[in-house]
Amino acid sequence: MDFDWLFFTEVTLAGLGNSALLSLTGLAFVLIYKATRVVNLAIGEMLMIGAYLFFSFTAGMGLPPYAAIVLAILGGALLGAAIERAVIRPMLGEAAISVFMVTIGVGSVLIGLAEIIWGAEPTALPDFMGKTPIFIGDAYVSRKVVIGFTVSAVVIALFLLAFRFWRGGVALRATASDQAAAYSCGINVPAVFSVAWMFAGAAAAGAGILVGAVGGIAPTMGVFGLSALVVVIVGGLDSIAGALIGGILVGLLEAWCGTYLGGEYKMLATFGLLMLVLMVRPYGLFGTVEIERL
Amino acid sequence: MDMNRRQALSLALGAGAAIGLGIRPSQAADDIVIGGSIPLSGVFAFAGIGIHAGIQDYVKIINDGGGIAGRKVTYLAEDTAYKTDQSVAVFNKLTSQADIHLYYSDSTAFAKTINAELDRRKSILMAGASFASELNDPKKYPFQFIAGPDYTQMFDILLQYVAKTKPGAKIAFVHSDTEFGRDPIAAGQAQVKALGLKMTETIVTPPSAVDVSTEILKLRRANPDFTIFHGYVLAPLPEFMSQAKQMGLATKFMGTFWSMDNSLWTKVGEPADGFMGVMPYRYYYDTEGKSPMLEKIRQMRPDYQSTAYMQGFLTAMLFLESAKRTLAAGKTLTAENLKAALNSLKDFDTGGLIGVPISIPGNSVPVGRVYRYDAAKKLMVADSDWIKVGG
Repeated sequence: MDFDWLFFTEVTLAGLGNSALLSLTGLAFVLIYKATRVVNLAIGEMLMIGAYLFFSFTAGMGLPPYAAIVLAILGGALLGAAIERAVIRPMLGEAAISVFMVTIGVGSVLIGLAEIIWGAEPTALPDFMGKTPIFIGDAYVSRKVVIGFTVSAVVIALFLLAFRFWRGGVALRATASDQAAAYSCGINVPAVFSVAWMFAGAAAAGAGILVGAVGGIAPTMGVFGLSALVVVIVGGLDSIAGALIGGILVGLLEAWCGTYLGGEYKMLATFGLLMLVLMVRPYGLFGTVEIERL
Repeated sequence: MDMNRRQALSLALGAGAAIGLGIRPSQAADDIVIGGSIPLSGVFAFAGIGIHAGIQDYVKIINDGGGIAGRKVTYLAEDTAYKTDQSVAVFNKLTSQADIHLYYSDSTAFAKTINAELDRRKSILMAGASFASELNDPKKYPFQFIAGPDYTQMFDILLQYVAKTKPGAKIAFVHSDTEFGRDPIAAGQAQVKALGLKMTETIVTPPSAVDVSTEILKLRRANPDFTIFHGYVLAPLPEFMSQAKQMGLATKFMGTFWSMDNSLWTKVGEPADGFMGVMPYRYYYDTEGKSPMLEKIRQMRPDYQSTAYMQGFLTAMLFLESAKRTLAAGKTLTAENLKAALNSLKDFDTGGLIGVPISIPGNSVPVGRVYRYDAAKKLMVADSDWIKVGG
């Protein structure tokens, strides 16, 4: 039987679309972990709030989609800042597990707030990406997938450049590698924490809009954040490039397994990859290897 | 009414405390009591809120009419967040506080977990949000029932409709990789064959799948005449439908009960046009035929009520009709007597909630109808007569 290369190409392109969503959400995890060493399990819920903000600005207030996107991303950034200032900063110095548990609590509060404000029913976002299908050669690819992939790739590239060349990005890297040294160099560490949470909130809101455009929105859509957690553990919790590569790996693996083995093997393949990476490289493919001396 | 900030805060705190602690209607010793593990928050909250309102309204109608044999009906319920352990905790709490005769369960998992306890107590008849085929077994689940067709029967209704409208049609199933999603698949595949239809593809999606682009590509290759979804509420159905339209696929999409709420599809808009599915009940706005109970609902609640509301309302109706028949026969309200009374329902008139008289020979109400979403009217409209299947 001849192998259907066109079908394989279409599946691969669709897989790359899913990769992009995973990578962008993974980026939000990484930004916070890199700066503050907090594994924020409320990222999925921050993503959900971003999607609902977009929904309110478009469907509720009738704003044009591009204005709504900007406002939702700003709202996501504000939410990130508020959580950091009100909940996370008072926990500074506490055990990592305590902060981790607090983020789970924040997630529950955000779900409750969404149910109170917008209701518990799932709903669809207004279509703002158009409906014309895109063909790359003969291969069909969904318009939403192309847009999602492009946006995610651009955002991740911008963050990579910012961390490399922007003064604030360098301050964030310095804080991540040694907080005390960063303080002594005059870096305003609490401000760096706030900025990291704001950027993560903005990235999560952007990802929420894209995820919501594809899969609809509901107060429980934050569960998508857990898929992205797998991505960042595979890629390395403190590596932006790791989030990108991890997202691509997981997205493609899921697409190929789901197509050729069946949808029931997707999770098996994803978590199989996670186990393999953790056994071979416990800090993830691109994570910083921390040497602890006793 | 003017209210200062302190008064508003007190009111909000009071309301919060009332919700948090569970509002307890006063209850006399001979009350007929309905208990409920209700998912008022969590992933199933959209349904739980409607179910809760439906049960409350039917109980109010009965109490306003003097109760049952002069006995008042009390409804006690608490939120479970759709978590089985919490549902069990609520069950234990409510049954320790009151003499409960009837109970609403929020999930298949809870219905299965608590079944042994129901068998041991022999005092409670239970129904709930689950339409799981497994529960439609009077031997294994003697004190439970389903207020509608089970999922296998829903597939049967859809497939009978397809076989009638397009004999020999090509069928694809798309289901979530959950107990809920897998429920009717094997029986449905057998039924496709039995009805002379052709099975072209069965697509499985992981429970938390958001992007289903690869699954849609598989569907395009299979090119079925009808695609039946199961194991979802809304997502990823709209994405399947809009991408299928983009690709020029002519397949018609169908779903089962929990995907059939009108307000869900109104929000989806134009891509929802033509979506079909099985409904065991009439919609809130249906005016065809004689439906005094629907008219009463519309008087009580002028705004649209969900399909979940109808499910809760009908469940309460069947609960209390069983209690009424049990008491009328001079028997006590035991699980065995209540279930026997339920099974005595033959050609029972639901007041128009279901368009035909119903009988409950086993653990389900094996009847339903195919509705189709009309985007121009923004309504689900009837697309078939009521279809009865094997009970």
